[in-house]
Amino acid sequence: MTTDPRSPRLDPIPLELIDRSKTVEFEFNGRPVQAYEGDTVGSALYASGVRIFSRSFKYHRVRGMLCVSGNCPNCLMTVDGVPNVRACVQRVEQGMKVKGQNAWPGLERDLFSVIDRFRWALPVGFYYKGLYRPRALWNFSASLIRRLAGLGSVNLDAEEHRSKHRSYAHADVAVVGGGIAGMSAALEAAENGGRVTLVDDQPTLGGRLRYGSRHQLVNVDGGGDVTPPEAAYLLASRIAEHERIEVLSYSTVFGHYEGNLLGVRTPHGIVHLRGRHVVVATGAQEVPLTFERNDLSGVTLSTGIRRLINLYGVKPGNTALVVTTNDEAYYAALDMLEAGMRIVAVADTRPEYRSDLEAATILRSKGVLILPNYCMVRAEGTRTVIGGVVAEIGPDGMTGNERQFDCDTIAMSGGFQPSTALLHQAGATFMRDFDVDAEIPVKLPESVHVAGDVTAFHDPTISAMQGKLAGKEASLAVGALASDTKLSDLKHSLRESISAYRRRLLITPAPVDLAAGPRQFVCYCEDVLAKDVVQGVEEGFRDVQMLKRYSTVTMGPCQGKMCHKRFTEILASETDSTLTEVGSTTSRPPIQPLTLGELAGPMHMAFKRTPIHHRHLQANAKIAETGGWHRPHSYGDPLAEARAVRTSVGIIDVGTLGKLDIQGKDAPELLDFVYTHRFSDLRPGRVRYGVLTGDNGTIMDDGTVARLADDHYYVTTSTANVEAVEQWFQWWMADREMCAHVTNVTSGYSVINIAGPNARATLAKLTDIDLSPAKFRYMRVKSGDVAGVPTILLKIGFVGESGWEVHCPAEYGEHMWDTLLAAGDEFGIQPFGVEAQRILRLEKMHIIPSQDTDLLTTPFDVGADWVVKFDKGDFVGAGGLRLARDRGDRDKLVGFVMSNGVVPHDGDSVVDEANRPIGRITSSRLSPTMGKGFGYARVPAGLASEGKTIHIWAEGSPHDAKVTLSPFYDPEGKRLRE
Amino acid sequence: MVFQILRKEEFWRQADLAPHYDVVIIGGGGHGLSTAYHLAKLGVKRVAVLDKSYLGAGASGRNTAIIRSNYLTPEGIAFMNASLKLYEQLAAELNLNVLFSQIGRLDIAHTESTHFWLRQRVEYNRLMGVDSRLIEPHVVKQLVPQIDLREGKPFPIVGALHHPPAGVARHDGVVWGYARAADRLGVELHRFTEVTGITRENGRVTGVETAKGRVGADLVVSATAGWTSTIAHMLDFDVPIVTYPLPAFVTEPLKPFMHTTISSGELHTYVYQTERGELVIGGGVDHYPSYSHKSTLQMLEELAANAIRLLPKIRDVKVLRQWTGICDITPDYAPIIGPVDGIDGFILNCGWGTWGFKAAPISGKMTAELITTGQTPELIRSFDLNRFHEGRLINERAAAIAAAIH
Repeated sequence: MTTDPRSPRLDPIPLELIDRSKTVEFEFNGRPVQAYEGDTVGSALYASGVRIFSRSFKYHRVRGMLCVSGNCPNCLMTVDGVPNVRACVQRVEQGMKVKGQNAWPGLERDLFSVIDRFRWALPVGFYYKGLYRPRALWNFSASLIRRLAGLGSVNLDAEEHRSKHRSYAHADVAVVGGGIAGMSAALEAAENGGRVTLVDDQPTLGGRLRYGSRHQLVNVDGGGDVTPPEAAYLLASRIAEHERIEVLSYSTVFGHYEGNLLGVRTPHGIVHLRGRHVVVATGAQEVPLTFERNDLSGVTLSTGIRRLINLYGVKPGNTALVVTTNDEAYYAALDMLEAGMRIVAVADTRPEYRSDLEAATILRSKGVLILPNYCMVRAEGTRTVIGGVVAEIGPDGMTGNERQFDCDTIAMSGGFQPSTALLHQAGATFMRDFDVDAEIPVKLPESVHVAGDVTAFHDPTISAMQGKLAGKEASLAVGALASDTKLSDLKHSLRESISAYRRRLLITPAPVDLAAGPRQFVCYCEDVLAKDVVQGVEEGFRDVQMLKRYSTVTMGPCQGKMCHKRFTEILASETDSTLTEVGSTTSRPPIQPLTLGELAGPMHMAFKRTPIHHRHLQANAKIAETGGWHRPHSYGDPLAEARAVRTSVGIIDVGTLGKLDIQGKDAPELLDFVYTHRFSDLRPGRVRYGVLTGDNGTIMDDGTVARLADDHYYVTTSTANVEAVEQWFQWWMADREMCAHVTNVTSGYSVINIAGPNARATLAKLTDIDLSPAKFRYMRVKSGDVAGVPTILLKIGFVGESGWEVHCPAEYGEHMWDTLLAAGDEFGIQPFGVEAQRILRLEKMHIIPSQDTDLLTTPFDVGADWVVKFDKGDFVGAGGLRLARDRGDRDKLVGFVMSNGVVPHDGDSVVDEANRPIGRITSSRLSPTMGKGFGYARVPAGLASEGKTIHIWAEGSPHDAKVTLSPFYDPEGKRLRE
Repeated sequence: MVFQILRKEEFWRQADLAPHYDVVIIGGGGHGLSTAYHLAKLGVKRVAVLDKSYLGAGASGRNTAIIRSNYLTPEGIAFMNASLKLYEQLAAELNLNVLFSQIGRLDIAHTESTHFWLRQRVEYNRLMGVDSRLIEPHVVKQLVPQIDLREGKPFPIVGALHHPPAGVARHDGVVWGYARAADRLGVELHRFTEVTGITRENGRVTGVETAKGRVGADLVVSATAGWTSTIAHMLDFDVPIVTYPLPAFVTEPLKPFMHTTISSGELHTYVYQTERGELVIGGGVDHYPSYSHKSTLQMLEELAANAIRLLPKIRDVKVLRQWTGICDITPDYAPIIGPVDGIDGFILNCGWGTWGFKAAPISGKMTAELITTGQTPELIRSFDLNRFHEGRLINERAAAIAAAIH
C-alpha cells in the first residue's frame, strides 16, 4: 500500500480543495500517511489505498466511504483521542493520530465480525422477546451486549477541559447553506441593505457547484454560461467583497430554536445566531439504494464519488457500475470516465432512455452501456466490491432478467432527501411531492424562507432564483427594502421554471425486493435490514414513531440522513398508506453531532467571596462552599472558636448575608405583606426578626428587619437566598401595585458580627456611640462611625451572646476586620467560622432555614408561633398558615439532648419502638458547654413535649435522648441583653 | 431461547371504538397501560385506552428510564420500592424483556448540606429495608473511575449515596409490554384518538368525547401526566400542578466505561451509559413552565457543562440528539392518585413530574385496585388530591432534586 499521496491523485483541477504544494503527514493506526493540505482524513486515506474505514455497529461488517459529506456513519474514526469523528470531513493536520474503532484487533481483521454469521438469530427487537428467563440471563446478556456495543472509546487520558468560546450574533438575515441558493439569497439581502450572516459547513462556498461537472454549465445572474466551479468562485468572490455579509465557513447550524435562534458550531466555539429572518438553503442529501450487500466497501453514493474526484483529486477505483433513479449519477459516470475509469454500465430505474440528458448522450457516444428500466439487485464481494448484478424491472418489481458486471466501484443514487431538519424544527409543515419523490415544505413560519435543493428541486437555475426571491422577501420583511416591483416577475419566472422542471422525467423510485437477499441495509448506523423494517410493521408497529423506536432506524449517528427516505417508503408500502400519511420522524437538534465540550463553552464558575476573603486565607482558614459563597468553615478548631465566643469575644465575617435596602412610601405595607410578622408598627431604630413564607405558609427564608426611618428599612436574608427574596419582593410589589424601591446591596456592605462577653469593651474602643446596655439595647439599630468608617450597627445575637453586627462599606471590610482584631487583642479575640457559629446558634436554638426546616415546615412547626400575626390582614402564606395552625398532627422541631455519649449525624433518624423511622435529626453537634450530643430533631407532634424520651437511630442502633423545648444555653436570653 | 427471539407476532390488535366501556383510560403511556393491564387482570371486562398520539408518545417515551427507590419520605420510599420490586419481575410478568438492568445509582454530594440530605434518605431507606449506603469519595472512585476527586476544584466530591438495586429499563419496552399484555387480556388500545371532552350527567361522568365520536364509560381514568391540567379543565376542577418541559439528550455510542448511573443534585445533572453505549444525560426542568416539546439550546449547554463538571473525561463525546418531555409537577413532588371530590365516576392519576416512569407498574396496580375494590390501598393513601386542601403535604423534593425546579 502506497503512502505517497502523489501517485494515486488525478491531474490538478481548478478550484480543488487540496493545495498540492503543501504536504502534511499524519498517522493512521500507527502508520504514517501523507496528505495534501486541504485534504480530509477520509480523502487522504482513500488516496493512500485504504478501503476499510470502519466496522459496523452490530454485525461488525466492513464499511467503506459512502457519502463523503459527513452525514453517514461509515467513516467514524478516533482522531487525537476524540471518538466518532467523521473522517471524510475532518481536515488533516500535521501529526494527527487517527485510529479505526469498533474492531478487534483491527479494522482489517476484526474477530467480532463473527457476529455477522449469526445475523439470522438477531432480528429486529430480538432482545425484547427473550433473554429474561431466568432473570440472571439478562444480567449476563446485558453485560455481553454492553461489551459488544458502542463505537469509539472515551479518551480517559483527556486533559483538563479546554475552555471554548461562546459568542452571540445577530443578523437581519441569517442564511444557512453556502450553495448557489444560499449565496444568491445572501447577496440579494445584502445588496438591499440588510446585514447578513451566511453559515456554510464547507471550507469554501459553492455547495455542490464546487464538484459540478463541466458539462452542467450554469448561468449566474445573466452573465455567460460558466462551469459550476467557476460559478461558485464568482459568487463567492462577490460575497467576500460585500461589507454587509459575514461568512461563517466550516461552521454548522446544528439546530433551530425558539425565536429564530440558530445554534452554530464554528471552529472557534458555539455561536448563538439570532436572525430576524432565516433563509434555509441546506440542500439535499443523496441517499443509498436498497439491494443485497449494499454496504460493501466500494458501494458509494454518486455525489461521494464526485467529491472524491473533483474536490480532492482522488481516483475512486478502476471499474465502476453506476446505478441510479435520477439524472445526477450520470455526471458521476462522466467524472469517473474522465478520471480514467471504465464504466461497465449505467442502470437507471426510469423506464426510458434519457435522450434529452446531455450526460447520457456523451456517455453513450463513448460506448458506455446504458440500461433504462434496470435496477440494482445485489453487489458481489465479501468485504469490497468485486461485481454487481442488475435486473430488468417488470410490472411487479424486478424480473429474473439479470445482468452481471465485474467492477470495483458501485456508484449509486437512490434520489435526494432534502435536508429539512431545520425547517422541521422551525415548525414548517410538509407534504409528499411525487414528481420530485421527496417531501416539500408547504407552510413556513413567517420569518423563515427556503431556497435551493432543500425544496426538492435539483436545478441550479431554480436554486438561484429561489435564493434571490428568499433574499428579497427577507429584505422586505426586515424593512431593508421598502418595496420591490420586480417581485411578482421573479415569482412568475420561478413558477415557469418549476413547471418546466416538473415536466421532465425526474425520478423513479427503485423497488425493494426482499427476496434479493438477507443483507439489504436500510440503516447503516444500526445495521437494520429491510426485512427488519418489514417485520416491525407486521408486528404491529404501524406508525412511523413506534416503528422507529422498535427498529431503531434513524436513531443512530446519522439521525436519519441516510435512511429516513427508504424507511418511510417501506412503511408506506407495507401499510398501504401514502407517504404524506406516514409522515416523518421528529428531527431534533443537533443536526450534526457536536461535543459536550463545545456546548459547555467557557464554563465560567461564579463563586462569591466577601471583601475580607483574603484575610481568611492568610489566617489559613478552611474554606467551605455554602450557598454559592466561599467562606471560612473554621480557622482550625471550631470548638475552641465557640468557646472563645462564650467566654471572651469572637468575630465572624457574615458579609455573605443577603442585604436589601427598602425605601418608599409603601415599604411598611410591603413588608407586612411578605413577612408573617408585622413591620409597619416597628419604630425607627428598632430591629425585628422576620420569617418569609411561601404561598402555602412554609418557611422560605428568615432574617432581620431594621427600620432606619419611616420609609426606610434595611433587611437581611440568609446567605443563599437573597436573589430569590429580592425577586419575591419585586413580584409581590408588582402584584399589589405598591410603590417602593427594593435594592440588593449585598455586595455593597461588609458585615462583621462581634459577639461575646468582651464584645462591648472591644467595640467601644473604636466608636463614640454609647454602647451601654441602657443606651444600646437588644434589637436596636444605630448608624455612626466605627474605626473611622460609617457603619450601621445592629445589636442582635444569632450566637446567643451580647454582640453587634457591624455593617460598613465593602471597601473598608479588611480595615474593619484588622481594627477589630487589634482592639480585641487584649481579650484574646478569636475569629470564628461557620462551624463554630452553627454550634453556638444550635445551643441557642436558632434555626437555619433549609437545614432545620424542609419544604413543609411552617413557623408553627418550629415553635415560632409568635412571628405569625393573623390580625394584620392578608399576607403571603396566611391561608396555609391557618391550615397548619389548626392541624394538631404536624411534625414539630424540638431540641434534644443525648442520654449517652453518642453524637448523631445531621440527617440521622428518630425511630419508634419497632425501629421504624418517624422523624429526623436536622442538626446535631457535640455541645462544648454540656459535653454531650445535642441538637434539633423533627418529630411527630405527640413526642414534642418537654422531657419526652425519643429514640435516635445512630450508627446502627437506637439511643435515647430527651426532648427539650427551650434553648440549652441562656434560655432567658439574659446574655443577649447584657 | 433462539426459538423465542425469532418468534414473530402481532403485538396488539386494532379495533373500532365501541359505544360503551366499563372503564375508559385517557392516556396510553406507562401509567394508563399499566392500569389497563391490572384492571383486565382483576377481571374488568371492557377496558379501552385512548391516546391522542401513538402509544408512549408522552413522558413514557421521553423519560430517561431510571428506576430507583432511594426516596426521602416513608410514603415515597414504600411506594417506589414496591414499584422496583414489580420491575424486577416485569419481564416474566409481561412475557417481554423490558431490559431492566440493575446497574445501581450514585447520588453525589459536593457540599456538606447535600450530604446531609443524602443521609436523611439513606437512614430512612435502610430502616425501611431499601439498600442505600453513604459511601466515601474513594469508594465512588472505585465505582466510577472517571470521577475527579481532587480537592479544591469546583464541585468537589464530599460523598455519595449508593443505591445498588437501582437500574435502567427500556422505556418503550415497558409501554409495549403493558400494551401487549393488556391486549392479550382483551383491553382495546385506541391510538390517535384524542379526548376532546368529558360528558357528565347529574355530577357523574358518563363518558368521553373524542375526535372519532362519543364513547360511554362507567368510569373514566385520566392518566395524562403533563396534560392533566387540560383534562381538569374539561371537568372544571383545579389541580395544583405546574407543567414544565424536561430536557435530556444522548450521545453517540461509546465502548462501555461507566457501569452505574450517577447524579448530582447540585449540578442538576445525571449521566449513565446505556447497553448500546450511548450516554444518556438529563437533569433539571426548563426554567419556565410550558407545554412545549421544543428543546432549548440553553438547557443543552447547561447540561453539557454540568456533565463535564461531573465527569471531565467525557468532554469530547458527541451529542447525538436532544429532546424534551413535559412534566406535571406538584407542590410537594409527590403524585396524586384517587377520586376527585364532587366528580363521581372519575379517577385522577397524575403528579408524576420527573418520577413517573419508575412508578408506572405500582401506580397502575394500585389504581386498578382502587377501582375494583372501591377502597384506597394503604400504599397510596397519602397521595390523595385533598392533601393540598388539608395541609397534609408530602415532602419529596429532595429525592427528585436533580430534576427539581431551580
